[in-house]
Formats: sequence, structure tokens, C-alpha cells
Amino acid sequence: MIRFEHVSFCYAGGSASLKEIDHSIKPGKITLICGPSGCGKTTMIRCVNGLIPHFYKGDLQGRVLVKERQTTDIPLQKLSRYVGSVFQNPRSQFFNVDTTSEIAFGCENFGMKPEEIIDRIEKLVRQTNLRSLMDRNIFRLSGGEKQKIACAGVACQEPEVITLDEPSANLDHEGVCGLQKMLALWKKQGKTVLIAEHRIAYLLPYIDEVLIMEDGRIREEMTGEAFASLSEEELHKRGLRGKTFENAVSMELPPLKGERGKILLEHFRFGYKGEKVLFDIPRIELPAGEIIAIVGGNGRGKTTFLRCLCGMEKRCKALVTMNGQTWNRKQRLKHFYMVMQDVNHQLFTDRVLEEVLISQEREDKEKAMEILGKLDLEEVAERHPLSLSGGQKQRVAVASALASGREILLFDEPTSGLDHSHMRQVARLLDDLKKQGKTVILVTHDGELLKEVCTVKLSLEDLNRKADLFSYEAVQQGT
Amino acid sequence: MDYKVDLKPASLIDPRTKLLLLFMISVFVLGGAGGEKMTVFYWILVFVPVLLLLSERKWKLFFISVLVYGCSYGAQMFLKGDLRPWESVLALSVYVIVKFLPAVFMARYTMATTKVSEFIAAGKKMHLPDTLLIPVSVIFRYFPTIGEEYSCIRDAMKMRGICLGGGKASQMVEYRMVPLIADCTVIGEELSAAALTRGLEVGIQRTCIWNVKLRFLDYLIMGFCIFTVVWCMIGGFFL
Amino acid sequence: MNETNSNKLNAHDLINVGIYTAIMAVLLCVFACLGIIPVMMLSLVVIPPLVAGIPYMLFLTKVKKFGMILLMNILMGLMLWVTGMSYYATIVGTITGLIAEWIYRKGEYKSKKLGILAYAVSILYIWANYFGIFYNAEQYFSTRQNYGQEYIDSVTALLPPWMSPVLLIANFLFGLLGGYIGTKVLKKHFEKAGIV
Repeated sequence: MIRFEHVSFCYAGGSASLKEIDHSIKPGKITLICGPSGCGKTTMIRCVNGLIPHFYKGDLQGRVLVKERQTTDIPLQKLSRYVGSVFQNPRSQFFNVDTTSEIAFGCENFGMKPEEIIDRIEKLVRQTNLRSLMDRNIFRLSGGEKQKIACAGVACQEPEVITLDEPSANLDHEGVCGLQKMLALWKKQGKTVLIAEHRIAYLLPYIDEVLIMEDGRIREEMTGEAFASLSEEELHKRGLRGKTFENAVSMELPPLKGERGKILLEHFRFGYKGEKVLFDIPRIELPAGEIIAIVGGNGRGKTTFLRCLCGMEKRCKALVTMNGQTWNRKQRLKHFYMVMQDVNHQLFTDRVLEEVLISQEREDKEKAMEILGKLDLEEVAERHPLSLSGGQKQRVAVASALASGREILLFDEPTSGLDHSHMRQVARLLDDLKKQGKTVILVTHDGELLKEVCTVKLSLEDLNRKADLFSYEAVQQGT
Repeated sequence: MDYKVDLKPASLIDPRTKLLLLFMISVFVLGGAGGEKMTVFYWILVFVPVLLLLSERKWKLFFISVLVYGCSYGAQMFLKGDLRPWESVLALSVYVIVKFLPAVFMARYTMATTKVSEFIAAGKKMHLPDTLLIPVSVIFRYFPTIGEEYSCIRDAMKMRGICLGGGKASQMVEYRMVPLIADCTVIGEELSAAALTRGLEVGIQRTCIWNVKLRFLDYLIMGFCIFTVVWCMIGGFFL
Repeated sequence: MNETNSNKLNAHDLINVGIYTAIMAVLLCVFACLGIIPVMMLSLVVIPPLVAGIPYMLFLTKVKKFGMILLMNILMGLMLWVTGMSYYATIVGTITGLIAEWIYRKGEYKSKKLGILAYAVSILYIWANYFGIFYNAEQYFSTRQNYGQEYIDSVTALLPPWMSPVLLIANFLFGLLGGYIGTKVLKKHFEKAGIV
């Protein structure tokens, strides 16, 4: 079905991403491509769906064959009939604004009869439980819901090969379960599926073959069963994530010992205009100086909770008291700092150092370098923030928060789309912040991060449901 | 329960009629073509978008616009002849509102009620080339994206307490525009890649699941538009 | 690789045109709102050309074929028309788009200097918005009769006929400056960040 014959690829102006790949993929198999960031997973996928060489330019050597034909000879438009693609970023892969048209989009481009497309959509909705997402505005959907629509769009085209590039990066447990259903369907239909992914736990029941990549080469090939029998340590040694498929919401953490003060939240009530109230918490005490994880499903308002906490939502009239000081919304903007999921939004200048300097009350280069040193950013101090890796960008944002002397740091999904070693890096960063006496509140659906470093776990549903209990311990205990 | 794709047209009129109305409003309301003799047509065109908003059950917007138009009409009657400077300013703002609001409403209505896919299909029926249709449909989809990205950046600036660089104007613009344009570029590249892998290309025979066809109301509106143009050209004779 | 050599615009090029036109339109819209105040009307040839240079120069890095610049200008012109400027913007935009296209091709779609020039030329559609006032002054004000002679006087005083070439030159010069700023920002941010 798909054959790589001595394929090497190097992006225009970049270093080699694939080196001498020689491999063939049998029809009807589900193949997982995994490995640490930058190992060439995504490049492999792009070779199969034709974006290399038709869209991303570079130096391609060897031959990639799909259905016995070389991808360089087939225009992308033709190739797209055989190969459907789902991408990582749910925000950027839509051409339409409404969901139904988006699902039909590919088939319409192939010139299929409208009646047939409609039949397919109706069948798909029955099979995959999409009903509640039909006829909606895509801009109003959560990341997980958008990803479901993207999968449905590809499924509707009924291609023989389906490629997925880190489809779960932005999904919660529920979203991942939806993805599993899709995979089960494709497996039953006998599709050839290629998935590049960091989170492997959810895929274990479906995969037939695994390619573990490193530095542009296939380091190991194994069957799905052999892969499933690897121990956690063996996976981590290969730079891979763990294999326990856990729901962050239902995980238990050991109880907290000792106290370092309290943060009192009052009148936390918020709902977007014209929509139902997301949370209504009259009073809750949280422990200070800890790493608090807020968990809950996609679209339940976790991010909004953080936005209210740091004072971004004007219509939330909450108060926060810490160390005898009470802060209203405007004051909180000076004491809280939120590292957004998309860090690109909060880096403004052309130098990392500058980014720290402008956050200081009075520019103090020595102190700024000290902060950068602590975060392992000294070497990149002169680089452009947007040219850094995702983890480094995150740390630059943290550096600017530290420079402006914030006491409470908020993180929105700090580990989405990260491999094992980068996840550990974030965990260490959070732990360091805790050691410096900062309070960290984060929103996550990453069970591994939760186990690794968080000291308190609260689910937003519980906070809401047991709003009459005023301490976090009480909210945590019992159901 | 079985799901059926709802093929009922999402809006009262066809995308082509919407474009025609947008065009008519820009010529006769904004452009003021024809002058005095077109007053009746002028006010009809002012109120068409309002009625369309009503058909979408946008009650609040409907009442506000009727109120604004009413007041401004009154003001125009009242503020005539030689005016003091502040009255001129008032008259001007009233003028601007009544001139611009219909086009804004019509554009909003068009954007809100036209599916990208319907728009392309209607465009194809008008024999517009893909070179025009693809960019325009991207623009459609891209306005909300720009809004989303900008509001994220604004939030981030608020949080950093940015009156950066002592609030120099050039830096304020730079700090907002650079991340915005960078984000939009990245999203754009990914959007292109995704659209291409789903078979979008120039010159393909494309189908559309939505029913794009002209109905009675469309013909009625088109008739009215033709009448307006004819009246503008020869109507002077009858007055 | 037949399509890479082809000079016809493909979907990727057209999507790029759409994206940057959307960004330019939003910027113009934001800064053009200043023009509603009579005194600020003149600032239209100053501020938008300065600001829009940034996305435009980034857009030019994506232009490798004939037609993209022209297409963007036509779309901008159409949007200006529909949103209440005059159709002169569409006509002028098309013409200047063609000229800009030709200029940029002279530099083999690479030269930054010619890129700046191409920008300054193509952005002249902003100046075209004043056409209505200069060449149809009577008609322009006949529909505005009820705003008091004083207002009309103040606007006409601000915009005597000889202002038209002055505005044209101003538009062009600020276009050059905007293009220059655009290349600077491109170098300072986008090239360093690896986006270009």
C-alpha cells in the first residue's frame, strides 16, 4: 500500500529530517509512529499524504509510493482521494465555518453527487455519535469537538489510507475516547491508518505495528502486541510516554501534609453572555504554595476558571484573599500570571532578554539574567522568542512572570503535545516554582503530569457540585 | 434517533441576492447615487437589511436599528440650514450612521447566514473564477480567526500590565501587530495544507450539498433592484 | 512536480491572498475609522499606509507568481467599494495592482527595494477614496446639503482641488515609508523567528 524506498528528506534551509527510510506498510493495518519530538514522525506523515513534496519544499531523495505510484507524480488533488489527513491543531484545519459543510467539504471537492454525500454524512453520524455537533458554528466548539469534526470530514471521504498527526494533542479523556471510536470504526472497515503520536496509551488496543523513530531513522519496528508488553521503564528509555490510559478526573493523589497558608476565593461565578453559568462557587479555600491541578472535561470552563482567577474576565466579580490581602479583579492582574496554552500570544519583543526586562518594574539586567539562568535560558537570551521551541517559549513566559514578582502562576494545559522528556521538564519547572514559594494552579488532562508533580487535585465538577463545602479537603473527600 | 441533514435553506434569500443587495446599498445608500429623486428607494434599501435581521430573529438589533434610523431621520429634519459647529458635528455623525449602518448590517447578515460552501456554489453559478472565489471564501473564514487571535493578545497584554516602553505609540502597534500577524501566518499555512489534502484546487468541478437556487423572494428583490436602477437612469423624466 | 513550475496560481497561492487581504482589510478598517472625523480625514493617507506595510511585506515574501498582487488589490478595491468608499478605489486599485505586479516582477520577486516601491504604488487605492470629493465635488455635497454650509466649507477648505496631487504624493511617500518599516519589522521579527 505504502512504500518508502531509501527516502531521505531535508526541509528547505533546515537539517535532515528523514534519513534513509526503507519500509513498507501493509494495507489494512494500523501503524503507530512514535518517538521523541523532532524525530521525524510528522515528516513521515507528510511524505505519505503528499504535502511533501507538493507543499513543504525541500530536498527529497528516494521514492515514496502510495498505491504503487510515486507521490511526486500524483498531484495533491488526486492523492487526496486515497489519503485523508487529520492534523494536530484543531483551530487551523477548517475551511468552512459550519460543521456540516466542513464534513462534506472533501467529498464536494471530489465532485461527488450531493445525495451520496448526504447519505454518507447521515451514516457517519449514526456510527460515531456526532449528532450534537451537527449544524454548529465551528468557532464555538471546544478543541476536542473540532478534532472530532476533522476526523468525521476525513471519514466521510472514505479514503483507503488515513494519516493522523498527533490528533490527541488538545483532547481531554472524553475526546480521546471519541478518537478511539473512530479508530475502531476504521479498523473494522479495513482502512490503512498511520498515526504519529506522543500519547500512546489510548492507542494500544488498536495498533498492529509500531515504528519507533529517533533522529530521522526508524530505530525499532515491532508488532502491536510486543509494544504493549513493554514496561513503563522501557518506554521512557526510548523517550516515550507511559502506557497507562488514565482519566485525570478520576485519579487520586495522596493527601497533603503540612500547610503553607491559604488562598481564599469568594464569589466565583461566571457564565458567558447568553449561555449557562459555567461555575458558581461562593467560597473556597485553597492551599498556598502548592501545585494545584484543576481537572475536568473539555468545554466545562477550566480555562475560563483560570481567566477569572487572574482577572481577565471583566464580568466576574470574584475576590481573592491571600496573606491578609484581598484583591479585586484589577489588582489580581498584577499578582497572578497565566501562561496560556498558546504561548505565542504573550511574547511581544524581539529578544528573550527584552521580554524579561520590560516586565520588571525597573529594568535591571543583572537580575534578569539571573532569572533566565534559573530557567535554563541564558544561552538563548539574545534570540527571538518566537524562534524557540515550545518548552522554551513557556519558560520565557514564566521568566517574565517571575521578573514582575507574581506570587501565583497559572498554567493552561502546559504539557499538551509534549513527549516524555519535555513533559518531565515542565514538571521540574513547576516543582522549582513551588520551591521558590510560588503557588501554581494549572489546568490539565495529562494524568502523567498530575502523578509526577501536582500536590492537590480538584475537579471543576466537584467544586461546582459541592459549592456549599468551603474547604478543598471536603470537596476532595467522598462523593 | 436517526439524523437527517437539514437541507432547508438556512436563510431567506440566495447568496447571489445578498451580494446584489450589498452592491445596491453601497451604490445607492453609501454612494448616494441618483440624489433627491431616489429618496424612496434610499429608505427602502435602508430598511431591507433590518427586515432581514428580523427574519433571523435578531430582535434586539432590529429594535435598536429602527430606533437609530428614526432618531436620525428626525435629526436630519431638524438640523438643517446654517448650523453651529457642534450641530454640524452632530449632523455629520447622524449622516455617517445612516449611511454606513445599512451596509454594515447587510455585510453582517451576509457573513452570518451564508455558508462558505453555499457561497462558492453560488459564485460558480455566476461563473466567477476560482481565483476570486477561493480568496473571498478564505476572507470569510478568516475574519473571526483574526478576532479570536487579537482578543488573546489583548488579554495577554492586559495581564502583563503593558504600557510597555513608556507607552510609545510605535511600540504599542508593534507589540500588537507582530504576534497577530505571526499567528495568522502560521494558521494560514496550516489551513492551506489542510485544504489541499482535502482536495481543494483551482479549476475542479465542485459539487455542493446545499440547495443553492433562486426562489420567489429572490426574484422579487432582483426585480426591485432592476426597477431602482431604471428609475435612477430615467426616473427624472417623470418628476 | 509539474505544478511547482507552472506559473498558474494554485490553491495555496489563492489562500495566501485571502489571508493577507483579510489582515490588510482589518487593519485598514481599524485605522480608517479615524477618517470619519473631518480633520482626521487627511490622516487616511498617512496612518494606514504606514501600518499596512508590515503584513504587505510579509505577503510579498509569499509572492512568486504573476497575479497575486493584482488579485489582492482588486479584492481590497471591491471591499472598499462595498464598505462605502467609492468605486474609484476599485478602478485605481486594479491599475496600481497591475503596475505593482510589474515592478515586483522586475526584481524577480525577490528585490526588497522594488518590493517597497510595489507596495507604495499598490496602496494608492487609499488616495482614490478622495476622488469623489475632488472630481464630483458638486454631487458629493449635493447629498450632504443639510449639514450646514459651514461644514461643507470646512471640508472644501481642507480639500481644495490642488490638494489632490498633494495627497497622492503624500500617500506614495508614506507608502514608501510604510514599506520600509515593513521590511525592518520583517527583519527584526519574522526572519529572526523563522516564520519567513
